[in-house]
Amino acid sequence: MRMLSILLRLAWRNLWRNHRRTIIMLSAIAVGVWAMIFMTSLTRGMVDQMVSDSIKVLPGHVQVHHPDFLDDPSIGNPLPYSDATLQQMFVALELPEWASRVRVPAVVSSERESRAVTLLGVDPLAEQHFSFFDYTQVEGRFLEDANDQGIVIGKKLAATLETGPGKRIVIMTQDPENEIADRGFRIVGLYTADPVSVEEAYAYVGRTTAQAMLGIGDVSTEAIFFGDDYRNVEGLYQEVSGLLDDSVAVQRWYEIDTYLGTMLKTMDGFVLVWIIVIFLALSFGLVNTLVMAVFERVREIGLMLALGMKPAAILGQIIIESMLLLTIGLAIGNFLAWATILPLEGGIDISVVAQGMEMMGASSVLYPKFHVGDMTLASTIVLILGFLASLSPAWRASRYEPVEAITKV
Amino acid sequence: MRRPNALFILLLLAPLAAASDDVDARQIVRNAIDHWRGISSYSEMTMTIHRADWERSMTMSAWTKGQDHSLVRVLEPKKDRGNGTLTDDKSMWSYSPKINRVIKIPSSMMGQSWMGSDFSNNDVSRTDEIVDEYDHRLLDTSVVDSMTVYDIESIPLEDAAVVWGREVLRIREDHIVLEHSFFDQDNVLVKQLKTLDIAEMGGRTVATRQRMIKADDPDEWTELAVLTVDYDVDLPDSLFTRSSLRNPRD
Repeated sequence: MRMLSILLRLAWRNLWRNHRRTIIMLSAIAVGVWAMIFMTSLTRGMVDQMVSDSIKVLPGHVQVHHPDFLDDPSIGNPLPYSDATLQQMFVALELPEWASRVRVPAVVSSERESRAVTLLGVDPLAEQHFSFFDYTQVEGRFLEDANDQGIVIGKKLAATLETGPGKRIVIMTQDPENEIADRGFRIVGLYTADPVSVEEAYAYVGRTTAQAMLGIGDVSTEAIFFGDDYRNVEGLYQEVSGLLDDSVAVQRWYEIDTYLGTMLKTMDGFVLVWIIVIFLALSFGLVNTLVMAVFERVREIGLMLALGMKPAAILGQIIIESMLLLTIGLAIGNFLAWATILPLEGGIDISVVAQGMEMMGASSVLYPKFHVGDMTLASTIVLILGFLASLSPAWRASRYEPVEAITKV
Repeated sequence: MRRPNALFILLLLAPLAAASDDVDARQIVRNAIDHWRGISSYSEMTMTIHRADWERSMTMSAWTKGQDHSLVRVLEPKKDRGNGTLTDDKSMWSYSPKINRVIKIPSSMMGQSWMGSDFSNNDVSRTDEIVDEYDHRLLDTSVVDSMTVYDIESIPLEDAAVVWGREVLRIREDHIVLEHSFFDQDNVLVKQLKTLDIAEMGGRTVATRQRMIKADDPDEWTELAVLTVDYDVDLPDSLFTRSSLRNPRD
């Protein structure tokens, strides 16, 4: 114990013998650590937002479909249960939020244009909490119930179709017999969404109205379930699939949108790689500093050895020196990262490159996400790798022959 | 009653309708439909598609039977020869000898142009079931060339699969539709089908030349001219099948 405190004191003083070198090294570590955490939080924020936006559009953490629906999302592959049966099955279990929907590809036409959209027959009362837009923010009004005769489309789509609230548009799709099913709808509301591309993709009508148009009774094409956290949907998945047999496919969101799922998974790997790359750059500086510190003190080390200090203590002293350097650097770096991310958590406006971001499914405001896990990971990696990197100069220092070292010129 | 050719009729009457409140107007529209409606017909016609910088013509033969069945086949120009369209109720198939495939026109393409013309697939395939989806009102009555002409306003019902705000028809007392105008929901004229020639053909007075003109670009139009027409011809049901669309047996 006394030994350790002596070593600690020696290391600390040695560190500040050449304070210019130490400060340069400290700033290098601090900037490196800051970059690790800051960049990670930016990427994480982006990916997080992309994932949660996309889940909202999907939507549903767990979804139930006809087994063929995902390959052929047409009305020919509806759920084998009616809405009433679903209601009975799930209400009894007091599941969290869920809803059944009719989702079919359709063509929407105005007097001048027509566009392909995904037509969603929804029950607005069941799902007002988990749509990708706030129903109260709709220009005009949103659908009032599943029997609503109106249609709600995106603002961008309305502009493309050269139409607007209060006007009629025609929805055309196919019924289960592949015959044309069409109907006129009056636009009752326009929604806005971020990213804007979503506004052109979905049109909302009442579920019952959609079912009547398609002539499918009270059958939907999907049932969607929301849990508390999209990262952990296993419990919900088990609960839902426990109720259903093989006639339907129960899937987690990352099985439906595999791109997103993979993205989220790769994210952790990406963070690790990024941290290691930065550290590799840092380690050259670190090892160099330590080697220099050892070279400068060859005669001093020789003397200490001659006076009876054990080689292990020399080794320890150099390692402690490097650890002190890293710890202080980490502390400064972490603090810097925290201090820069915090004021930015309200969002960074990157609308300059909004179009490019939208192609990736990200929106035009970037919210960096400070993740304690990333900070710990970065610190641990730096400490461990730093320890390994300082082993070599420390080992060399402890192996000196006292006589040679003292007489070294 | 007989009709000159189904396509024509369909084009003309697709957006028309019998009505709910105004008996007179509804009856006039109904009569005009009946004037075209026939048991069967065979006709040849030329379709001219005109644009500001080009124009092309196609000669086609068409068979019709009842309200639902029609078959159209291109005769000229040579490179399009054999292209065909078959309609059965709301469904539509197209055949091209170049790819030797019969393709069912999916609902997503029903709004698109038929053979590059100003008519959409919908215009061609829709039959008078849409009749019941309009309210009709007699706007005006006038006398032209000693024949009474009725102006009728047709407004689609709330859930009708029609994009127009309203349509206005000019129908002569001998049941010839002289003009059919399509207005958007801001009451702006979008396109107009005009009858240019009326003649005796196949034993009936029919519109023999009609032109669909876009209101905001008068340089873009499609004209249909009937060359010959025979009514009440005996056509087998097998003519209106996909296999006959693919393998003409004439």
